[in-house]
Amino acid sequence: MTDKPIDGPIDELTFEEALAALEQVVGQLEGGQVPLEQSIALYERGDALKKHCDAKLGEAELKVEKIVAGDDGNATATTPFDTE
Amino acid sequence: MSVLILTHPSSHRHVAPPGHPERVARIETVDRVLAAAPYASLPRAEAPAASDAEIGRAHDAAYVEMIKSSAPTQGWANLDPDTHMCPDSLEAARHAAGSLIAAVEAVVGGAHKAAFCAMRPCGHHAETNRAMGFCLFNNIAIGARHALDALGVAKLAIVDFDVHHGNGTQDIFWSEPRVMFASSHQMPLYPGSGAAHETGAGNIFNAPLSPMSGGREMRLAYEGIVFPALRAFDPDLIMISAGFDAHAQDPLANLNWATEDFGWVTAEICRIAAVCCAGRVVSTLEGGYDLDGLASAVRAHLDALIAHVEALE
Repeated sequence: MTDKPIDGPIDELTFEEALAALEQVVGQLEGGQVPLEQSIALYERGDALKKHCDAKLGEAELKVEKIVAGDDGNATATTPFDTE
Repeated sequence: MSVLILTHPSSHRHVAPPGHPERVARIETVDRVLAAAPYASLPRAEAPAASDAEIGRAHDAAYVEMIKSSAPTQGWANLDPDTHMCPDSLEAARHAAGSLIAAVEAVVGGAHKAAFCAMRPCGHHAETNRAMGFCLFNNIAIGARHALDALGVAKLAIVDFDVHHGNGTQDIFWSEPRVMFASSHQMPLYPGSGAAHETGAGNIFNAPLSPMSGGREMRLAYEGIVFPALRAFDPDLIMISAGFDAHAQDPLANLNWATEDFGWVTAEICRIAAVCCAGRVVSTLEGGYDLDGLASAVRAHLDALIAHVEALE
């Protein structure tokens, strides 16, 4: 992971970028290197990054195909994952 | 005999750079509360200045010298991105530390059952060798050391309900078995410390609270962690780092304490003090940056202290 801050609009980050940015935020908050005045803004960015990661994961889940197993336990086919 | 209020004009002369949240308006707000009924009739004392030797009970001598030499003749000296000194900050910091010394003398000596130090700069982030988080000297630690070393108090407890972890107080008393330190605070948030596994010599009790949590979670933490430890420790004096920035309106944190939550936690601490140490409680102002929230929470805190003292009489 790069030490370069990952900033910019959260909506435009990929899941991997958002997760890396969230890890940076957590590291900064836990490391005690963030000024008191800025820690609340950093926490709120971390919260927004977490929500973005959750949304991206939700999108990915919908794309997962359900594996259909036959009588012998082996996979025989896949069907689209259906949440309905 | 009621709640002794300690103040000093120098608290108004500690001026931070424009836009800084730890501003003179905070102490002006507290003073307006104290000037109105029923608080205007509380006994008052002017806080003395703490000496180098008194401050040196909680900080290294070299650190005290560093702070003294950092005071600028004009403008500001920036000790870290949050922490600044103006030409009058050293005087204010000496009196803020001295207020705790006078308060413990008044309460341990029996002149008063409880005291509240309405002073700034705040102190609980200041470590043995480091100024941070708006804090220069750790006022409550200096008062606690005075109680132990000069007044002969055998053991005491410090409860810190500021929304930020009291890392400085924890640092100073990390291996001091005569002092129990308990802190509730939002986590994650500045300064990053205060996890439950930080226990010192078995004398440190941290109760981190989740962002957006409110009075219910706070009460569970105090009833589950802080109060059992406090009763078991059975201190001879209880001191409170009273920060009011867990208030829902505060701009520097995300906890949702209501005004009555500050009254509840104060009253419960006092109930334990009444059982274990003849009711002796010394409290000091730490944070609290929304002026309306600060005023209402200070009133709730004082109301609980006054009711406590009246119940003892």
